[in-house]
Amino acid sequence: MARKTPAGGARRAEMLSLLAPTSAWLVVFTVIPILMFVVYSFWTVRNQMIFRELSVSNYVRFFTNPMYPALLLRSLIIAFGVTVTTLVFSYPLALKISRSRGRLKSVLYMLIFIPLMTSYIVRIYTMRLVLGSNGVLNNFLLFLGVIQEPLQILLFNRFAIFLTLCVILSPFMVMPIYTSLERIPRSYIEAAQDLGSTELQIFWRVIFPNARPGLIAGCMFIFVLSLGDFMTPILVGGKQGTTLSKVIQVNFGFAYDWPLGAALSVVLLSISMVVILVSNLFGALREV
Amino acid sequence: MNEILRLENLSKRFDSVVAVDSVNLSIYNGEFLAILGPSGSGKTTILRMIAGFEKPDSGRIIFDGEDIAEVPVNKRPFNTVFQDYALFPNLTVFHNVAYGLSIRRVDRREIRERVHEALEMVALPGYGERYTDQLSGGQRQRVALARALILRPRILLLDEPLGALDLALRKQMQITLKQIQEKVGITFIHVTHDQEEGLSISDRVAIVHQGVLQQVDTPRRLYFQPSNRFTAGFMGENNMIGGRITSIDSEQVCLDSPLGPIRSRQCLSCRGLGVGDEAVIIVRPENILAGSAAATAANSFKAVVRRRVFTGSEEKMLVATEAAPQLELMIKLHFIQHDDQAVGLEDSAGVQIGFSPENCWIVGAERGQGNG
Repeated sequence: MARKTPAGGARRAEMLSLLAPTSAWLVVFTVIPILMFVVYSFWTVRNQMIFRELSVSNYVRFFTNPMYPALLLRSLIIAFGVTVTTLVFSYPLALKISRSRGRLKSVLYMLIFIPLMTSYIVRIYTMRLVLGSNGVLNNFLLFLGVIQEPLQILLFNRFAIFLTLCVILSPFMVMPIYTSLERIPRSYIEAAQDLGSTELQIFWRVIFPNARPGLIAGCMFIFVLSLGDFMTPILVGGKQGTTLSKVIQVNFGFAYDWPLGAALSVVLLSISMVVILVSNLFGALREV
Repeated sequence: MNEILRLENLSKRFDSVVAVDSVNLSIYNGEFLAILGPSGSGKTTILRMIAGFEKPDSGRIIFDGEDIAEVPVNKRPFNTVFQDYALFPNLTVFHNVAYGLSIRRVDRREIRERVHEALEMVALPGYGERYTDQLSGGQRQRVALARALILRPRILLLDEPLGALDLALRKQMQITLKQIQEKVGITFIHVTHDQEEGLSISDRVAIVHQGVLQQVDTPRRLYFQPSNRFTAGFMGENNMIGGRITSIDSEQVCLDSPLGPIRSRQCLSCRGLGVGDEAVIIVRPENILAGSAAATAANSFKAVVRRRVFTGSEEKMLVATEAAPQLELMIKLHFIQHDDQAVGLEDSAGVQIGFSPENCWIVGAERGQGNG
């Protein structure tokens, strides 16, 4: 429910002048490239040459070759799974941080926040260190005697993609939920207690509904980021872990089929845009 | 009247700050009690301990003969109206008011009837479908009241509920609150820092200062017979004249003050004071006469007008006596009571002022002395 504020002419002019630099930046470096992508997606490639003739053949390829919808479906399933899993694990954590006081609170908050300051590639590689055949997890299990030789199923498959995305993206779920929880005035909870609620009733009737925008924002972030991620499938996905975004990357790389890559990107982008718009309808962007 | 709640030696400290200092207070069934004090006096902490949001460090909260200090908030038969109303923004007015009943799984039809009734009572019928952000401050306040009263609590706790409203609305809500309290007959404990509010709506007022209960009495008695210096100073404007007691007899107390000797009636608050003690004489501005009428008063002094402040219904005059030019006294002139001579006075004109011993009282110079 966005509220429109009636602004006078002078105020509008002032707003525009403040927005101009950012808008210009966005237009030059985001909007124009995306539009160029859309144009590219209607071009064709023959003999390693791009021909600037309009055609929908790339989109026809997407819908007629069952491989592409299947890859899209796989990407969507992974994104959905990552979203649900991070939600389940992040909500209690966000609650815990928001209920903590003093030192514990800042320590917990930093534990979530600091990973965001480290390189995204490094964070993916750390998952290789954890899951690899000589990795932390295998060594630990060997040490415990649970297994006799290193497990190979931990890395280079779809499960590894799923797990890595969960780990590296979870801050984007914890943060907005935490912010939303922090915005709930203490008196709401006291009022609910005062009216006779149990802890569970307070959570489901007061905390959860009033923190919903943060939850939607978190889900939106995770879903869109997982859907578009191609480094994780490349680094931990192995042969089995091909996703649509990885195929897009390949098309811009050695496959050298930019128009097809662009068409696939447009498909993926449209899905992301729909997700963002729908979550915005539920107030997600007010929270961040 | 029978007692519904009793606070016994109730104390609470936050870190090194003593918020509430062994408060003893009885609250009677069906009364409207105001807890009045300046901000930071501990009045809200007392209320929060009754509600159960704070645990007392020591002391007991006796309700129906049982100590409920350890009973959790949601098990106490009290409800609270919060300062910021704390209405749930995700729910409509109807569901806000219905909240307490719906978590108790009361039958839907009964909920509908009781919510309807409650909204009628607070003069908001037909507002059920609105969300709370579509209401004015006064309307939210009434929704909060309906939400708390619908559970028919034994005691309703109000934490500065009118603090956020503008003056005109506050006056109106004070009357509404009083009317509702009389109608439902529930005991109300109302915390406020507004003396006028405390005096005008409650049956009894408990004055709290620095965590200590200063005096509990009817508004009239508090105003006319404050038992100590703090209460006297807090209840409206006062002139306080310090001095030393020179004699005490069964009817009057004499005090040697910078103005000269002053005679005051004996009063409750002088108990415990003896000849030679430091004490303070308190006279209300409206009880000081000016002009020819003052000449015959038992305590009469020559004074000079320092300043006059016209406020509409009355005029205030600051004067100082010849004997003590540094001590300014405030006089309220009600145009009808005083002769024209005093009303027409210019600044720095001489005037005779006076007051009767019946209109003043003596309290000890130390805080809390003479407290019953």
